[in-house]
Amino acid sequence: MLGRPIYLFSSVFVMFFCYLFFLTFFSEGLPRSMPIGVVDMDHSYVSRTFIRNISAIPQADVTENYANYNEARDAMQRGKIYAFFVIDKNFEKELMSSQQPNFTFYVNDAYLVPGSLVYKELTYVSKLGSAYVHKQLLELRGVTVDESQILATVQPISIDAHLLANPYSNYGVYLINMLLPGILQMLVLLMTVFSIGYELKVKSTPDLLKTANNSMLAALMGKLIPYTILFSILGIGGNFILYEYMHFPMNGSMVRMSFATILYVMAYQAIGVFCIGLLPVLRDAISMVAVYSILGLSFTGFTFPIEAMPHGIQVFQHLFPIRFYFKIYVNEALNGAPIRYSIIYFIAIAAFFLLPFIVYERLKKAAINLNYPAK
Amino acid sequence: MNDTNQTDKKRFRHIRNILAVTIDEYKRLLKDFGVLLILVIAALIYPLLYGTIYLNETIHDMPIAVVDHSNSVHSRTLIRNLDATPDLKVTHTFSNMEEVKDAFYKRKIHGVVYIPADYSLKINKMEQAIVSTYADMSSFLYYRTLALGSNFAVLEMGDNVKLERLNDKGIVGREAEVAAEPFTYEAIILYNEPMGYASFLLPAILMLVIHQTLLFGIGMSAGTAREENTFHELTPLNSDRSVFHVVIGKALCYFSWYLVVAAYILGVIPKLFNLPHIGNPLDIALMVVPYLLAVIFFSMTLSVFIRNRETGFVVFLFTSLILLFLSGSSWPLSSVHSFWRTFSMMLPSTFGINGYIKINSMGATISQINMEYIGLWIQAGFYFITTLVVYRWEIVNSRKRLADLVI
Repeated sequence: MLGRPIYLFSSVFVMFFCYLFFLTFFSEGLPRSMPIGVVDMDHSYVSRTFIRNISAIPQADVTENYANYNEARDAMQRGKIYAFFVIDKNFEKELMSSQQPNFTFYVNDAYLVPGSLVYKELTYVSKLGSAYVHKQLLELRGVTVDESQILATVQPISIDAHLLANPYSNYGVYLINMLLPGILQMLVLLMTVFSIGYELKVKSTPDLLKTANNSMLAALMGKLIPYTILFSILGIGGNFILYEYMHFPMNGSMVRMSFATILYVMAYQAIGVFCIGLLPVLRDAISMVAVYSILGLSFTGFTFPIEAMPHGIQVFQHLFPIRFYFKIYVNEALNGAPIRYSIIYFIAIAAFFLLPFIVYERLKKAAINLNYPAK
Repeated sequence: MNDTNQTDKKRFRHIRNILAVTIDEYKRLLKDFGVLLILVIAALIYPLLYGTIYLNETIHDMPIAVVDHSNSVHSRTLIRNLDATPDLKVTHTFSNMEEVKDAFYKRKIHGVVYIPADYSLKINKMEQAIVSTYADMSSFLYYRTLALGSNFAVLEMGDNVKLERLNDKGIVGREAEVAAEPFTYEAIILYNEPMGYASFLLPAILMLVIHQTLLFGIGMSAGTAREENTFHELTPLNSDRSVFHVVIGKALCYFSWYLVVAAYILGVIPKLFNLPHIGNPLDIALMVVPYLLAVIFFSMTLSVFIRNRETGFVVFLFTSLILLFLSGSSWPLSSVHSFWRTFSMMLPSTFGINGYIKINSMGATISQINMEYIGLWIQAGFYFITTLVVYRWEIVNSRKRLADLVI
């Protein structure tokens, strides 16, 4: 295992690099001061108030002033701004004379995350602005609005949103908690297939079997257990970094979560053995797990929910332990659900342990006879 | 006269050598199923796979539960409004929060709307009524769907209440409408009208598929060459061919095939899956040329680290995720530490993905993506030189070994 740099590189180094990368990459949690532009054709007291209010949103920063729509759109296409709003000429005049002018904003949703966030904030500011003017107009008409009734008048029904376990909609929480296990399953699969497949390729499996007293089971265990320990330490270490050091939400039990991590590592080792047993050619098996582990990231459902996929595609979620691991994570870390809701997922992950037995004989024969091409 | 003939011959010698290398490389690829699997099958299948997975763009009719303690005309109207949004579907009505928890933990619902007992009372008493929502935070899309749907339903109802109250004050008709909403606002979503996931993610994925299949394909090809050649070197020695010929010849092989692949991935796939494609195909083609060159030379440079056929995957597979995030197509680079921003400028994927999104999805012209376009040419030039350097180093090394052997 320590013989060639690739073994340490593709386990310890890559995992450390990814922890470092993702934690520093999303360190802001929520994007702040995203650049947006304005086309102010009114140049009035009202339009300036508008710009000031929008500049006060922490997520956005009105950085550019454009003379017209075309200039603003050009800047958007160049990627300088994520959104812009247009205040038409005579906006103030029409507002004062009850002509209900229109206020328009344009959001670039080709970049979905900044687009969605800016959209939400601009909608909110527009509502608030409209409500403020509404109150002032009522007063102009002599309708007195009690201090206590202001809120009720401008916004009769309000929403008190509870973002369970992630109150600030921190993006790091959405992504990192599953991206890192995603990298982990990738590395476990690759290293499992590589460590066994390479022996087959250089035809050293007969020696390996000899050292293990001709027991394929003992040979496999000897190969796999050091990785079980190494990857479990990397995974559980990651749990500590995320939930203890970074204070990401953990409303359940760290012990259960870490137990799940160990099962998770072993399940992917089992799948790795299954693949190299099924296709005892290193190249084929490694291509297979490469595709499988990349697809696993989609079928976790932590970015794009499974329910939103076409029905025929949804069934494939059951082929990926990471999907069950995700459900355990949601129950434990986010929701703090009682264990009875997660037991079935623990069992599902453990069920993958059976896979190597299906290919056991085939792999043993390949190891003894070396009857597959090395290339 | 004789002199020009000589230089002509020399020039032809270069072209002949380069083309010979290209043809050799093509022959090698066609015999190698492993490499074909990546450069042909993966490159063709992956975009279809991702197009299908993300076909629906966003969640429709997300199941939610309502806890209605008000049980009034007002609360029933709100529930109807919630159910009428395209985002939400009220699948469960519970009387207490304990029942809600059970359904929530079983993932039968992804959001809860709680209407308190004083809801209708407060509306009637001219006070502000408050509705609580509880979001499943396991995915950003669950949260966004609940927020959009509940906001819409509540605002609609709020507007009606406002009108009723104005009517009570004697303000009616158009006058009441204007008073309730002194100015209207219009949000125009550009370049991704459904606010969809596929329209945003797939253009980036498509460019990444080109990048990663080249990286792994070239890596596997280099690993094979090392295993098969006597001195584990990247390229066989041939006195007539210089490093220059070998590098250009090999690159030409991948480049020519990937013009076809790029036409399929960037030209056909977006139309097939109804993804944004408002860009000028000519501009896309113009940008693809330096992108392919930069990626090919980048991959050829990195391939010196590949000792075996299969180690490319083992060493580089994790980069697929890193490259995607470093491009800034998902998380805005304006919110990322300047170290990563600078680092991302060294990668062809960053300029390639952003350039393609801007032309293809946002309808920019090549002059509007100057930075990406020039950046890609600079990268192509830079990685061409690094490829020459590492190949030369490899060749010098193997010559040395050959000399040692002869002595």
